[in-house]
Amino acid sequence: MATPGRTARPRVAVAKFASCDGCQLTILDLEDQLLEIVSRFDIVEFPEATSRRSPGPYDIVFVEGSVSAPEHIDAVKELRKQARILVTIGACATAGGIQALRNWADHDAFRAAVYEHPEWIESLAMATPIAEHVKVDAELRGCPIDPGQLTELLTSVLVGRRPQIRDEAVCRECKRKGIVCIVVAKGEACMGPVTTSGCNALCPTYGRGCYGCFGPRANANARSWSAGLLKSGRPPEEVWRLFAGFTGYAEPFRAVITELGKTKG
Amino acid sequence: MIASPALSQAAAARQWFLAREDLGALVEAIRDSGRRIIGPTVREGAIVYDEIHSAADLPAGWRDEQSAGRYRLEHATDQRVFGYTVGPTSWKRFTFPPNLTIASARRANAFGFEQPAPDVPPVAFLGVRACEIAALAIQDRVFLGGQFTDEDFRVRRSAALIVAVQCTTSSSTCFCTSMGTGPEVRGGHDIVLTEIDEGFVIQAGSPDGAAIVAKLPKRPPSHAEAGAAIDHVEAARVQMGEPLPMTGIGERLKLQLDHPRWAQVAERCVECGNCTMACPTCFCTSFIERSDLDGKSSTTERQWDSCFDVAFATVAGGDFRARPRDRYRQWLTHKFSTWWDQFDSSGCVGCGRCITWCPVRIDVREELAAIAPPIAPVIRPVAVEPVAASPGAYSIARLASVRAETEDTTTLTLTDLDPAFLSGRPGQFVMVALPAFPAVPISISRFRANAIDLTIRAVGPTSTALGNLHPGAKVGLRGPLGTFWPMEEAYGRHAVVVAGGVGLSPLHGLVDALAANCDRFESVSLFYGSRTPQDQLFREDLAAWTACKALDVAVTVDRAGPEWKGRVGVVTTLFDMISWDCSKVTAFVVGPERMMQASVQGLISKGVPADRIYVSMERHMECGIGLCGHCQMGGRFVCKDGPVFRLNDLGDTFNREGI
Repeated sequence: MATPGRTARPRVAVAKFASCDGCQLTILDLEDQLLEIVSRFDIVEFPEATSRRSPGPYDIVFVEGSVSAPEHIDAVKELRKQARILVTIGACATAGGIQALRNWADHDAFRAAVYEHPEWIESLAMATPIAEHVKVDAELRGCPIDPGQLTELLTSVLVGRRPQIRDEAVCRECKRKGIVCIVVAKGEACMGPVTTSGCNALCPTYGRGCYGCFGPRANANARSWSAGLLKSGRPPEEVWRLFAGFTGYAEPFRAVITELGKTKG
Repeated sequence: MIASPALSQAAAARQWFLAREDLGALVEAIRDSGRRIIGPTVREGAIVYDEIHSAADLPAGWRDEQSAGRYRLEHATDQRVFGYTVGPTSWKRFTFPPNLTIASARRANAFGFEQPAPDVPPVAFLGVRACEIAALAIQDRVFLGGQFTDEDFRVRRSAALIVAVQCTTSSSTCFCTSMGTGPEVRGGHDIVLTEIDEGFVIQAGSPDGAAIVAKLPKRPPSHAEAGAAIDHVEAARVQMGEPLPMTGIGERLKLQLDHPRWAQVAERCVECGNCTMACPTCFCTSFIERSDLDGKSSTTERQWDSCFDVAFATVAGGDFRARPRDRYRQWLTHKFSTWWDQFDSSGCVGCGRCITWCPVRIDVREELAAIAPPIAPVIRPVAVEPVAASPGAYSIARLASVRAETEDTTTLTLTDLDPAFLSGRPGQFVMVALPAFPAVPISISRFRANAIDLTIRAVGPTSTALGNLHPGAKVGLRGPLGTFWPMEEAYGRHAVVVAGGVGLSPLHGLVDALAANCDRFESVSLFYGSRTPQDQLFREDLAAWTACKALDVAVTVDRAGPEWKGRVGVVTTLFDMISWDCSKVTAFVVGPERMMQASVQGLISKGVPADRIYVSMERHMECGIGLCGHCQMGGRFVCKDGPVFRLNDLGDTFNREGI
């Protein structure tokens, strides 16, 4: 899998745009497997872990964060040129992240509210996922990503097969674990039915509703789910907030948010 | 245990009473037999099946409230331990685990694949309901009934002692009586308990069960206790109400693969797959390979999967069931139809879990009723007893209104009627009399709330006199008389009404009835021909019927002036518009005799079966009750045996001159 004529170990870079670095930390959190991973991958670029710099090309580039500032646009294109496999990691890179909520709001007003000198801040009016700018080969969802899916991806690169990352409802993991459905048994709001799995139903396991951080699954019927939440008596603001989380900018959550934004007035 | 060896009748039949405070002794006796116990316990706001260490772990004093998409646990007013129905867990979790390592493989050193031998210590399932025993039996068929079997399932199933509990209550989501699986336990158990106020009526169902029962502090139940046990189970049955009409559901569903409801339910369905996870019989799985970083050793894990998953039916070229409606249809038809083809049983036991645990409240019972409704039971009406049945006795009615239909035809609306007339059926007639005029037979053209319509063509002295009456006038009536249109014969078929001229009058009430029951027919059509546009009866009604979506109306006239924009030609020319399968047509025909003969010939040549054609005959009548001999037609009196006849019953008298 290595770049021919170079080192036997695949060269790996980790890059970031607008993000909290939490997904990069997940890589460092692999602890038990970390030594094994570095023995098989040459991690040459990883700002969260080392200040060492190493130019491309790279075999794998993990990209964290969304495109949020003007300089990100060229940077992500350059990164793509240097990457044989580009993998986006986390809700920001794959869906725009929590910062994409500004896509429905007044960007200048946000800037003025947060910063003392908004004129010093250069940011884009929209925060967008990496895939809106360059071709993405694989994505790891979540806020943060799941270490199991990360190792599965690394394994698949070494073994030479497709990563076995399933796209199924969080409900599926919930049911396999034997968690009692909090929607049915407690009337909680939960994004599980429309959200893709990978977290092993983390939130429902602790009795709270899924907040959709892994983003919409392939056949998410967000329209029916939001209609059901409204029908159960939840005010549109609450349903809006449920969808407008870390992955709200990803379709079809985006359409629901836009639609509810209209009813919100 | 899967197959219980035959037990001596005496031991099997022997019932015992176990006091409530001795339930712990049952738990201990099971544990002493070397088994761990899985049973109901309260967790996360529900009654789930989990490890039971002592009787205190069982849910005493709880009841559940279940409906589509909703489950709530509440404190009960009693201390019953089994006073609820099935919860989110099904026993398949323990016989068919949601995650199971089925193989391991190595690439380095010794290349090879290994299958772990299932190692399952003896276990007892405590609190298995009748529907759940049925579900275990269904999975027995799936996993053990064919050429290839699931060894892991066999071992887990064989390791389990089944301690059944009869249901003494039911939830709104329960429908075991519809699927024929409960509420009473009919076998497949080692021990069965029925909870009553004072404790439990207990009975062994196998030698293993008998060995445990033998160790319990027990006594024979009193007659009252044994009776209460039966009554409580019966109460659960009654609570569920009438069973759903499931007869032929498999075939009914196969006929409805293109029903628009599939798309409608798919709009609601969020495809979370919770129904399939909660279902005690769903058995679909996927295999996941997990390996170390360089793939030198790996394990294969089997996971519960669901046919609602997008990837479930996907191959390199795409998804065989690409649309949500395809996936919903796959699931529902498998449960209730194709499961029969594969496993010779239903895939549904009526536990209702798929209803309760559906977060968007889809109720399979409603979907089945909408997609593949039962063929409605046909209630054949009987003719009401006529009033004033002797030729000289008349019941008096008042003329409420008069409406001119054509130059010579008038519709009278009669009210202040004897109720018998209102209970008449379309196709029947009345004898109408005025003092000094001979009585005439007139068919009832319309049934209103408190009135009937008679449409009369002025051809003789009585009919002319009737047509000249004014509102408020009184007339004498006898009836309702004769046979009526057997609308029920057309249920599930294409109902075709063919009328010529004033022949629409005896058919008017039938068209009303067909329209009112239109969902019982494949289609309803009216073909109406008259000599000229001016000869058309019921022009307002014709317009309303034409506008009605449930009816297809086609009208023609034999001849017309330039102002007529519609079709010209005899009524049989309209048959060219028939596009459906004529073997599924039931036809009702009235008009002048020659028109009826031509119409019947036309319908038969299109493929309408002769025994599905009904005609109404006209003959001279004096008495209307088969005593005067005037209306004889072959071996029949038209007044009494008719006027509505099945064509076949008329034999060759129908087409013959001079009968």
